[in-house]
Amino acid sequence: MTTLIKLELLRVLRNRRYLVFTLILPVILYSVMVGAYGKVDTLDGVSVKEYFMVAMATLGTVSASMTSNASRIALERKSGWARQLRLTALPGYGYVVAKIASTAASTLPAILVVFALAYGQGVRLSASEWVLLGLTLWAGGFVFAALGVALGYSAAPDSIQPVIMIVYTVMLILGGTYGQIGGSFGSFAKWTPMALYNQFGRVAQSGSSIGAGPMLAVLGYALAFIGLAAFLYQRDRRES
Amino acid sequence: MSTSVEQRTGAARRGPGSGEVAVFRNVSKQFGAVTAVNDISLTLHPGETVAFLGPNGAGKSTSIDMLLGLRDPSSGSVTLFGGTPRQAILDGRVGVMLQSGGLMPDVKVRELVAFACKIHPRGYRADQVLETAGITEIADRKVDKLSGGQEQRVRFALATAGDSDLIVLDEPTTGMDVNARQAFWAVMRAQADAGRTVLFATHYLEEADSFADRVLVMHKGRLIADGTSAEIKARAGLRRISFDVHPQDGADLSLLNRLPDVTTLDVSGHTVRISSNDADATVAAIYRAGLYPRGLEVTGVGLEQAFVAITADQDAADLNAAHLNAAQQTAAQQTAELGKENAR
Repeated sequence: MTTLIKLELLRVLRNRRYLVFTLILPVILYSVMVGAYGKVDTLDGVSVKEYFMVAMATLGTVSASMTSNASRIALERKSGWARQLRLTALPGYGYVVAKIASTAASTLPAILVVFALAYGQGVRLSASEWVLLGLTLWAGGFVFAALGVALGYSAAPDSIQPVIMIVYTVMLILGGTYGQIGGSFGSFAKWTPMALYNQFGRVAQSGSSIGAGPMLAVLGYALAFIGLAAFLYQRDRRES
Repeated sequence: MSTSVEQRTGAARRGPGSGEVAVFRNVSKQFGAVTAVNDISLTLHPGETVAFLGPNGAGKSTSIDMLLGLRDPSSGSVTLFGGTPRQAILDGRVGVMLQSGGLMPDVKVRELVAFACKIHPRGYRADQVLETAGITEIADRKVDKLSGGQEQRVRFALATAGDSDLIVLDEPTTGMDVNARQAFWAVMRAQADAGRTVLFATHYLEEADSFADRVLVMHKGRLIADGTSAEIKARAGLRRISFDVHPQDGADLSLLNRLPDVTTLDVSGHTVRISSNDADATVAAIYRAGLYPRGLEVTGVGLEQAFVAITADQDAADLNAAHLNAAQQTAAQQTAELGKENAR
């Protein structure tokens, strides 16, 4: 199994898509957003630079764990590689576990790149805050990796690409990646997975405490995504 | 450490108590209203090389899927090495090369083969597997940059990455040129000689003829023939007898109609052509009838013709059954209508 994880990780790092969406895109967006909000001091209680540091770290993590993961699973179902793997001595869950593990390993660079950029822009946190924030963001990636697996099995391989893009884009907008959403719609939007993820990041950063509501919501999403992933994966195994 | 494994000989594998490789008991598979596999029973024995023939849609791939546990039968049971197919695969007893078995993209051939060797419970060394499959020269290429034939050889390497007892190949030589195909079968023969059981589905009948010691023929979901390729040819009734009859020999050609075991009879001019189920009996009867055949020839036919004959026979039988059914239904309807009219 570790062999498969290593091989999967090697593939991720070699893939140009990973480089673009996980490393380069957040860096560019960070500069654009900080520039665009240049006049505003704080967003949701933190400085603009800090707000977008978290937003871009979560963006990188989510694109690595969700979109890349989901589209690769869809492709491998189509090509028959997922089927071929089932004819090896690898345990049945090995494929999905390797996908999630290699994804988790590949999100770390995405987080670190944005941290370095923000540090260069003058964001200062204590050592323990950096570590706590990094770990929170990284842990959140697993939740989205589970969602990525679920999406990868959600439809016929041919029609999956638009599903991924729609879910991804809607989640980012509602999640406040491109700026905070206000008004009554904002009070709904803040309960979407990406918004919660960002909120956790900002809380970890500022050291304030988080309410029971968001905690339960995150736990609920994690369980729901894992359950959905397991269900869709089993369904695929029975059908193909 | 791997040498002791590799030294296992055919004799050891075939040894007493080695049991059955695979058993299908009354296996059927339906997809909605379509019956893809219809009540198949068969047993694969250790050391056999079995060809699996049948036209497209005959149910070969579905049967192979059930053999490997990728699909469950709708009814009946499949056992592999005495247990479930899944268990046999987890134990590394089966090496598989699927027709549409995708390969992992973005990695090198060597990396992929090394992975297959590593996850096999009795995996060989990657170098050796690459060598055997004839892909050492392309080991450093990316998997996504291979030709169709090269991809097939990589799939073959994955199927033979470890010491498996059964090798299953679904149309292994599709996309290979003649040379590659011959090289492939030379390697497969070595696998079979090492005592492995080999099951392969193919469209190339000459491959089945020259390589398999047992041939299974599937047609429309049913297993319609199971035997050596010689037996199948014989079952198809296909020995051709041809000879000339000269008028001065005073032959009574009507005698030809009474010859035994004849499936087709064709007389054109002085030349007689006969297909026979039992050429020996037919030829003996020709002489007994007092005919004087000149230039008598008895020839066998290839598996291909036998195959066509068997599947055509089956189709004819199906058609008769269908007609019979239809006729019975019509008769039943007529009786019913008659009944109604009488009641009025």
